[in-house]
Parts: sequence; structure tokens; C-alpha cells
Amino acid sequence: MNEVDFLLWVKGPAFTFAAVVFIAGVALRLFEILSLGRKQNFAVPKGNPMQGGLREIWRRSLPVDKPTFQRSLFTIVGGYVFHIGLFVVILLLGAHIALIRSVIGFGWPNLPTPLVDAFAVITMLALLAVLAHRLRHPVKRFLSTPTDYVVWGATFLPLLTGYMAYHHLLLSPQLMLALHILSVEFLLVIFPFTKLMHTFTLFLSRWYNGASMGMRGVKS
Amino acid sequence: MIMSDTDFRKELEQLSLVQQRRVGAVFVRNVLALTADPAVAKVVDVAANAEEAGEDELALAFKNAKAAALESHTRCGADSDWQAQAGYFVARAASALVAPAKQAKAPAWEAAANARMARTCGMIESADATMHEESEAQYRFLEQFLNDI
Amino acid sequence: MSALTLERGINEFKAQLDAPMASFFSSCVSCGMCAEACLFYTENPDPRHTPIYKLEPMRRVWEQEYTLVGKLKKALGLGKPVTDAELAEWQELVYNNCSLCGRCSAVCPVGNDITYMIRKMREGMVASGHAPEGLIGASTRAVQIGSPMGVKLPALQAQVKHIEKATGMAVPFDKEGAEYLLMLSSMEIMNYPEYLEAVGKILTNAGKTWTLSTDCFEATNSGIQIGSSDIARELVSRVVNAAEKLKVKTVISPECGHAYTALRWEGPNLIGRPYTFAAKHIVEVLDELRVQGLLQTEGFEEAKLTFHDPCQLVRRGGVIQQPRNLLNLVAKNFVEMSDAGAMNWCCGAGGGVSANEDANEVKMKAFQRKKKQLDELKVDTLVTACANCRIQLEEGLEENEMDLPVVGLTEMIAEHLVEREDKGGAS
Repeated sequence: MNEVDFLLWVKGPAFTFAAVVFIAGVALRLFEILSLGRKQNFAVPKGNPMQGGLREIWRRSLPVDKPTFQRSLFTIVGGYVFHIGLFVVILLLGAHIALIRSVIGFGWPNLPTPLVDAFAVITMLALLAVLAHRLRHPVKRFLSTPTDYVVWGATFLPLLTGYMAYHHLLLSPQLMLALHILSVEFLLVIFPFTKLMHTFTLFLSRWYNGASMGMRGVKS
Repeated sequence: MIMSDTDFRKELEQLSLVQQRRVGAVFVRNVLALTADPAVAKVVDVAANAEEAGEDELALAFKNAKAAALESHTRCGADSDWQAQAGYFVARAASALVAPAKQAKAPAWEAAANARMARTCGMIESADATMHEESEAQYRFLEQFLNDI
Repeated sequence: MSALTLERGINEFKAQLDAPMASFFSSCVSCGMCAEACLFYTENPDPRHTPIYKLEPMRRVWEQEYTLVGKLKKALGLGKPVTDAELAEWQELVYNNCSLCGRCSAVCPVGNDITYMIRKMREGMVASGHAPEGLIGASTRAVQIGSPMGVKLPALQAQVKHIEKATGMAVPFDKEGAEYLLMLSSMEIMNYPEYLEAVGKILTNAGKTWTLSTDCFEATNSGIQIGSSDIARELVSRVVNAAEKLKVKTVISPECGHAYTALRWEGPNLIGRPYTFAAKHIVEVLDELRVQGLLQTEGFEEAKLTFHDPCQLVRRGGVIQQPRNLLNLVAKNFVEMSDAGAMNWCCGAGGGVSANEDANEVKMKAFQRKKKQLDELKVDTLVTACANCRIQLEEGLEENEMDLPVVGLTEMIAEHLVEREDKGGAS
């Protein structure tokens, strides 16, 4: 298999496979969660659960409690930087939008590629920083499982290979692009079965917690 | 003659802080046997000699009385032992007597009420006349005290 | 009842697992922020005290039973089964080192309600025989005697006689059709009889009809603390039966945090239907009376004072503004602690910690957080609205040689009460 065949395979059957596993996996995981159901609540609510749920979905993205922010400063800032970075790199790069357009039929305006490139660098630095923090922080190191590090690698590799492909580093751009796509496919395949799932389930979790807070009339 | 708590409290309110401490000491001494903590007796002695007691002496006594109360209270969820609980109320009565002036709202009355509570503890499962006996005794103590001053 | 075994424990874990729990387990990214929010970690920084880690055995049961990957791993013999020894080891984490205070649930960035999870995990701990002795004792006494502290009706009647004699006020028992049924905690009957006197005075003065019940006077619920819905249901049913028998409009939960959670939030779900009456915390009732103009006060406390928010009232109950309204009636120099209100730090002894002798040492370590908050303020008086917090605060202050009186909010209000001319049909 030469470079061209490899790229075609990666873009073709491998991509289809990864996409199917990702979509079916996420659907299965959401079904596994939601099918457990929950009991009816008979307590008379003090506030509106719906409002509370929506409020927490939004509010938990903001560092609203100052002392908490100060105590977990690095975790929060590092988390912000790499999450925003990932968002920009994944969804605002011209090449990515073109791919999305070819799959779902529509797209949106992109940011200039050099700017996205800068975001990619910042994101990689932030990911390295949070990894270092995870290895040094007593609680994070203690809580982390091997899968957590695999997940970190699976998030980092697409950034690195994408960056290297764009800057023509190490390998031929074509081969690097193939590796870039392959690394994304790896990410998609493991996504539903690892903590990457939080991307979707955090909305559910915030909703449940917020609805409970809303019902009790708690606004923090 | 003092016949009711209303009269009793009215008379107590007329007294100065030092006098309240002294007569309160008489109330607490009457139930002192219900505590096993010797520190409480010393606190009551300080209250009884309130005229001569210095600020430091009162502060130390208050600290000791509070410690005695804390040591003898029953913690949430622990099995109740009303015999031991009597000691808690005796200590509370004593601490009311030596509380700093700004905290002491009605030291003698608080001491009297807690002393009665202590008396009741021994008989808590079969509430009876003990409470009345104790308050009657307190009325007589107060009359005696009023005669003496 | 069959013996408490690992198998029963695991079955109970499975029964407790619901969509929220599965979502919470799926969402955790091990960021560690819950540890920084937990006073059992901040004051005693062992990574095992991280709130989400306290759920680890239950997480594995969830993974192995309710996820495809977990089932596969289990089938291939790769899943590590939960053992009895492991649960025995976790007892300390789930009970001694958690007061169900809810701060972790309030800070989690992915939104996990970790407190909700630990409350559920305790059900499995009870079923597997890994609940602490102290809580088992309290629960047994609560079921058999009607009070976790073994306080019987005659003891309450004796206290009532004292109050009636000292105040001349009637303290009614079993008065049908009264507006309020007043519930108490054993702590108040044993250690703080002034609470009952204070509430009685305020309600009577407001012209409200109120009553105690000879069937049931205990509002605390050891079942909620130990984590046994069966016990919790039995205890809450007694309150419900007493309230419905007397046809009261409102049941007043005492100055106690978890009693409010038990009665207000868990109770209807335990009995499987809504109540025919309202359930309110005494502080909520007092604030309503204030708004209605039925609670008037005179004079002000001279001391500089602060308020310790009981966790179950603020974070888990939404009773945040009421105590402040009440304090401002009687205090000119009321200052707030750092983190006051919904994010206030726990006293260190809630959620069954105080009734659990194994936790005696850690709860004093946990108190260091409160000490830091108080050291910043330099107040003369500490006010709270939970008898359990109050005992822990008094003990902690004493052990740390801090000279600071701790006062119940209701008593403080009662001391400033203005007697009303028109008391209506009050008894």
C-alpha cells in the first residue's frame, strides 16, 4: 500500500467505520444512561426545575464562584484554554468546514488558517500543561486511570499531526494528513466508551443537578 | 411569700448582678450532688463570693463551667442517659451565674431553670412532682436571701 | 430480614443506579475540583477523600452491569469485581469523611450531584453490612423508641411542664385542626429545651394555633443519614400519620438540617405520594410571620455576630434569605462569613458524622475550616439554626480555645419578641 492508497483507505472505509462506531456508540451510551430512568418526584417544588436545569447548563461553564475559581485556578484556566482551542481548531478551520460541508451539505464561515494554526499551538501547550499538572497534582494523579492518559493522547495526536501536516514537518504532507485523519478516527472510535463522552453527558448531568437545585429553590 | 414563677422572677430582677450570682449559687448548690464534675462546685463557689471575685476569676470560672457543660452534653444520635444529662444542666446553671456581664441577661433565673431541669432528669421517664419541689425550694431560698440582705 | 451480605449490597447498588447516576459517572473527567470543595479533603488532604472517589465501588458496579464495555470486560474476566473487603475499606470514606454537605455538587464543572450519589451509595453500604455502629445504634433507637437518642414522650412532657410553669403559656398536645404541628429533634429536648419555649412563645404571640403530638415528636431521621430508605420511610410515615391525624396545615421542621431534607424533600418520595400538609423549616415559618407582621421585635443585640448556614438549609434546601431577614430584625452588627449562603462550609458533623463515633477525630479536623472562617471575622457571637451544627460548633470552639457563644436563631428572636395585644384565638 503506497501513500496514496493509504490516504484513500483512511478517507474512505476507515472513516466510514469510525463515523459509524462514533454515532452508534454515542447513541448506545445515551440509551444505556437514559433507559435507567428515574423515579417520579412527589415533593412540592419551591422553584422551577426546568429553569434550574437550563440555568446550570449555562452557569457551570462560567467561573461564577470566586473562591472556587481561586482554589482550582490552574484546572479552570487550563481547561478553558484547551476547550476553547479545540472548539476553534475543530470547527473554524477552513479545511474542516469544507469536509463538514461535503458530509452534511452546509457549512459556516472559517477563521484565517494562520490564526487557527496559532490556536492549535496554544491548545497543544495547554494540553501539555494540564498533563503535567495531572501528573503532579496529588488528587488528579490519584484519580487518573490508564484510560485517562490514552484519552489525553487521543486528543493531542490529531492536533499534533494536523499541525505537522500543515507545516510540512517530518513526513510528506500527504502521509501526515493520512496519519492526522487516522488519529481522528481513533479518537472517534474510543470516544463513546471513554470519558470523552462527557462532551455530551455533561449537558444531562448539569440538567439533572440543576433541576434538583431549581426544585429546591437553590440559586448559588 | 413567693408563690409563683412570676413573683419569683420579679424579685430576682430587682437584684443586682452580684446578688443574682449569690442567690443563684444557692440554687445550684441544692442540685450540686447531681454532677460528678468537681469543677462545677468550684464555679459555684466563685459565684457565691461574687462580691470579692475578680474579672479574671470570673472569666476562668466561666470557661471551666462551659467546658463542664460541653463534656456532659449528649451528642446528636448518641443514646440518652438522663442521669448523666443532669450533670449537663447543673453545669449550665453554674455557667449562667458566672457569664460575663454583657451576656448575663438573667443569671439567677437561668440558673434556677437549669437546676430544675437537672432535678427532673433523674425522674424524666416518670415526670412527677420533683419540678415543683425544686421550685418551691428555690422560692424559700430566695425569701431567705431577701431577708438576709 | 435476611443477613447483610455483599450480594445484597451489590443488588442494592444496582437498584439505586438511575439515569442521573449513570450520567454523572459518564461525565466525570477526574478534574479534582470536588476535592478542593470538600472540607474533609481540604482540612485532611488525603486524595482518597476526594468526593467522587468515595463512589468508586459503586461506579464499577454501574460499569459492569449497565455499560456494554463493562459487560464485555466482565465476560472476559477483566472487570475487577467489588469485594466485601473493599466495601469495608470504603465505610470510612462514605460515612466518616462525608457530611452530605453538597459543596462538591455545587462546584462540579460537568454538573455531577455527587452528594446525591453518596446518599444512594449508603443504601448499598447498609445492605452489605458496612454502616458504622454509631449510626446503626441511632437508627435502631429511632425505630424502636421513636428517637435516635432514646428520648421518650415522658421526657418531652417533663420539659413541657417546666416551660408551662416558667412562662404561664399552655403547650398543647394533640390539638386537632391546629395550624402548625411542631416537630422537634431529640437534641433540642435533651440539650436545648429553650428552643421549644422560644417557638411556643413566638407562635402563641402571633395568634397561631399550634400543637405537639404525643404520637410523634421526633423530626430527625436516622434513616436518611445511614442511608436506609426502609428506616427513613418508617420514620417519616410517623410524622405524616401524626400530621394527618391532627389535620394540621403545616408541619414545622425544627432547627436541624437533615430533618428538613428528610421531611421536605425525601419524605413524599419515601411514602410515594404528596403530603396533605405543607412542610416548612422553623426559619421559613418565622420569616413568614415577619412578613405578615405577626413577628415584631424590639431592641438589638449589641454583639458583633455572624450566621453559620446549615448545609441542608442553604445548598440542599434553598432557605438562604430567611435567616438573614430575621437576624437583621434583631442585630445591627451582623456580618457575613466568607462563602456565606449557598456555598457556606459545613460545620463538619452533618450527614450522620456526629452520630458516628468513628468520625470523632476527623470531624474536629474538618472543623478547622470553620475556625478559619471565624478567625477572619472576629465576632462576639455565632448564630445558627441547627442543633447538630450548634453542638459541633460548641465542641470545636472549645477544643480550639475560642471563646465564642453559639446561639440558636429562634431563641435569639424570641428574646426580642414584642408582646402583641391581639393574639386572636391563641391557646
